[in-house]
Amino acid sequence: MSHEATTAGGLQRPDLQTETPNYDDAFDAVVVGAGLAGTAAALTMARDGLDVLMLERGPAPGTKNVFGGVLYTPTIRELVDIDDAPLERYIAEKRFSILSSDGDETAISMRPGAWRDDPHNDSYTVLRRRFDEWFAKQAVDAGVTLVTETTVTGLLRDGGAVVGVTTDRPDGEIHAPVVVLAEGANSLVSEGADLKERPERDAVAVSVKEVFKLDRDTIDDRFRLDGDAGAAYQYFGEGAVGEAVGGGFVYTNKRSVSVGVVYRVEDAAAGQTPEATLDAFESHPAVAPLIRGGRRIEYSAHVVPEGGARAMPDLVHDGAVVVGDAAGLVLNSGVHLEGTNMAVESGYHAGKAIAAALADDRSDAEALAAYTRDLDQSFVVENLRHYDWFQRTIAADRQFLFEDLPRALASAETEYFKMDRTSKDEHTGAARDHLVAAAGGWFGAAKRAWRFRRMLS
Amino acid sequence: MSTAQPHVPDVSIEDRLYTVKYRDAGESHLGVENPDVCADCTTNECTSVCPAAVWTVDPDGDGVPSIAYENCLECGTCRYGCPYDNVEWTYPKTGGGVVFKQG
Repeated sequence: MSHEATTAGGLQRPDLQTETPNYDDAFDAVVVGAGLAGTAAALTMARDGLDVLMLERGPAPGTKNVFGGVLYTPTIRELVDIDDAPLERYIAEKRFSILSSDGDETAISMRPGAWRDDPHNDSYTVLRRRFDEWFAKQAVDAGVTLVTETTVTGLLRDGGAVVGVTTDRPDGEIHAPVVVLAEGANSLVSEGADLKERPERDAVAVSVKEVFKLDRDTIDDRFRLDGDAGAAYQYFGEGAVGEAVGGGFVYTNKRSVSVGVVYRVEDAAAGQTPEATLDAFESHPAVAPLIRGGRRIEYSAHVVPEGGARAMPDLVHDGAVVVGDAAGLVLNSGVHLEGTNMAVESGYHAGKAIAAALADDRSDAEALAAYTRDLDQSFVVENLRHYDWFQRTIAADRQFLFEDLPRALASAETEYFKMDRTSKDEHTGAARDHLVAAAGGWFGAAKRAWRFRRMLS
Repeated sequence: MSTAQPHVPDVSIEDRLYTVKYRDAGESHLGVENPDVCADCTTNECTSVCPAAVWTVDPDGDGVPSIAYENCLECGTCRYGCPYDNVEWTYPKTGGGVVFKQG
């Protein structure tokens, strides 16, 4: 196949005033969206010899993308050399913290020595604008044609099969054997073409985030870091997200700190606004000192699909596959917050399946089904299935987990370590009483321990 | 004794949005499907879920929200927030809309 418009090396930014090159029927596959899933798919297909067109609605890859802050790289590292990637810091510390709305904090911190060694458990903070643009550049270097500032507005059909896309460009119809829908959480094209249903409101979270500029030394000192070491702090409880179900986060970048909250859209609709939730989190006495003096350099927000395995749409269709956030591939188990790794894994498997199908001159759903099968057998769907119970269970136990437990822990700590002239034995008993009472007695405590046993298994 | 002092950060939505870069697409990518539904709505979820003050309902008006689309962060929360599925949500055209510098 030939396509004169391909530019090697650089990212293409067509001038709106000039004639748009004709991409119709010039490519084996069209990828909708140059995020992590789309780029992984495009790169994989290009490596397998396909001519790939990747369309991005923003002025550059990453300009429309928001995430909390930690990129997990086991699959990306297989695809590209990440030594030159714009990584911010590796995760040297994970800290899980429960906040009450009275200003209490109870935290557990872990800094295994192994995380300091390359490849740092494949966990790095990144800023998506820089990282996604870099990653897309790797795909372009592999032969992918990237066109930005082009919005896919719908799918072309022949019978039931998807045979291309329509765009907002003049003469913007592009026919191609396969379309990869990597359009992110707001999957307008997939939904508009009935490839998936819009997720239910109770399966979607909203996240708001701010990036604060701080000196590198200040960050190192505040978070006890050196070199490229970084910290990932996760927060739970009423002090993190108020009356909602969700959590807060603080991640260190090289010269900035990312701070945000994620909670159910249900809770925002009930009246707890994203801004007020972020304000309360940022002003909690456990959080405020971490960002004190920092200059706000960006405010951002995004929905997060949190429906888990049960909310996953059909991944393959005649002539199309769905990957990444568009396929609902986000894991929130409370402890694990993952999505980037799942996006890349899905893009990789989709790319492989498409290359194999096109080698047989096929693009029907049956021929593409290897993608569904491979993803099903990967950690992506395994993990989603394993934690499918989690969201419902914490939502059902919100009062205990988010309000009673954080306060009871603080009361128990206060009691246990109290300095007075009473014996340690009495203090221990009183501390225990706080916890047992909050858990609903010994029986309630046992029931809850059983209910949440899978969190660590 | 609790030492927690409720502290409201000295930041407004205008301050926050000032940090965000936009390219004006020239026309709104947001709308309402059916204004009558908004007129009958008393809960105005669109105004409480939006992190960017895009949706406002004048208490003395007709109940149909005014839409400051140029503030939109394209997060999509209003698509889900409206219980009547009455939000018309499209992508801004030809590279318009929010341009995140950090993400």
